[in-house]
Amino acid sequence: MGTSTRGIWPALSLLALVAIWVGAAAVADAEKLPGPVDVWRALLAQVETSGYFFHLGITLARVAAAFLIAMAIGSAIGIALGVSDVANRVFSGWLLLFLNLPALVTIILCYVWFGLNEAAAVTAVAINKIPNVAVTLREGARALSKDLAEMAAIYRFDFSTRLRHVILPQLAPFFAVAARNGLALVWKIVLVVELLGRSNGVGYQLYLYFQQWDVATILAYALGFIVIVQAIELAILARWERYANRWRR
Amino acid sequence: MSGLRVAIRGRSFGDKSVLGEIGFDLEPGERLALLGPSGIGKSTLLGIIAGTDTGFEGTVTRPDGRIAVVFQTPRLLPWRTLAENIAVVPGAGDLDRARSLLAEVGLGEACDMHPERVSLGMQRRAALVRALAVDPALLLLDEPLVSLDPQSVGAMRDLLTFAMDRTGATVVMATHDRREALALTDRIVELGGTPARLVSDRKSPLGRDARRDPRQVDDVYREWFEPDSFEPGGGAAA
Repeated sequence: MGTSTRGIWPALSLLALVAIWVGAAAVADAEKLPGPVDVWRALLAQVETSGYFFHLGITLARVAAAFLIAMAIGSAIGIALGVSDVANRVFSGWLLLFLNLPALVTIILCYVWFGLNEAAAVTAVAINKIPNVAVTLREGARALSKDLAEMAAIYRFDFSTRLRHVILPQLAPFFAVAARNGLALVWKIVLVVELLGRSNGVGYQLYLYFQQWDVATILAYALGFIVIVQAIELAILARWERYANRWRR
Repeated sequence: MSGLRVAIRGRSFGDKSVLGEIGFDLEPGERLALLGPSGIGKSTLLGIIAGTDTGFEGTVTRPDGRIAVVFQTPRLLPWRTLAENIAVVPGAGDLDRARSLLAEVGLGEACDMHPERVSLGMQRRAALVRALAVDPALLLLDEPLVSLDPQSVGAMRDLLTFAMDRTGATVVMATHDRREALALTDRIVELGGTPARLVSDRKSPLGRDARRDPRQVDDVYREWFEPDSFEPGGGAAA
């Protein structure tokens, strides 16, 4: 199959989904399942009157903050656990506990303990994500090559050279997995956080229009969301992964 | 300038004793072959000499200066090009120096390729360049000619001689190939038994020029390793 035809399939498949949506909307109650045209109109109305991009932007900023914090802290914990047997034995139980802590519990506790503010919101999201990052990076750190570590010691690599040229490239695939899984998770939790304790952002808007039973607007926000997530995936993650893997045969 | 002094009393892994008492002194610049069958503990001994293995009994005194090792598997960083692999080593110089060193060993065209895209022979040559780039006082070679095709063996042997001459380093080379040992080193010790000990320690009668001549290598080979064969001119298949 040539490259020109390969790009067509996802587009065709998406078109089919839209066609099913149109068909279903024609049959169903227009209030419960509005068609694409109605959703588009709702989206334009939001853009004009209710700050659609403002709410998307606020949510995006919260996602970015929570994502970066969780990646940094989760990686540090994961690498430490992967490298040190003692640390792993002492803390792997904690990790298991946090992995299985329901997101809603973390969110509620953060709001109760730290107040209904921005810091509590971002912390709640980050805490939900940190254990997943830590588990992934722990596997990566366990798989670090002893052969290359020996080589680096013999050739007197200093700490920063070792980190940049020996350790981080080996962890790159694990960072990619953690980032990809993490982004999907953070996106979903951030909406709940906004719904429960913020007065702006996509989660808050969804809550608002749920109370008004306005399905078209809800779908308009969902669509914007999907487009942004896909754009980040294609523009940043996929490109970075291709770059990180360029040396493979 | 000092050479290398090895005085090992033993090395065990768990209750398995791999190395027994092993001792030898090398003059600065002297080249030693550690000869013995695969699995006898040559790599273990090299690890002790290199300083990566510290779980042994005894002492090793290394010459002042840097140590370089050419490992049996090249141990290049697969995500860096051949030239980058050399330039990242502290004290090895910049990318331009790495490229010109690689060009000297016939890797001028491959210097910006990643290791997995070139042959094992080329990877090992690059690993040898990395070793000589740090101008080592002690150079350790672990089976540098194993699993190369016959043409690469000849080229690599010349290159090893070039590297040893250029650095003037004290050299320890582990090998299971007796001819290879005779062709490259001043002195040959044989490891044998369990745990492994030195079963012989001989200075090669061949000077550094003489050992480049395959016939002279063959003569010493027969004299040393096939004492029962009296057929002059060869024909004694091992």
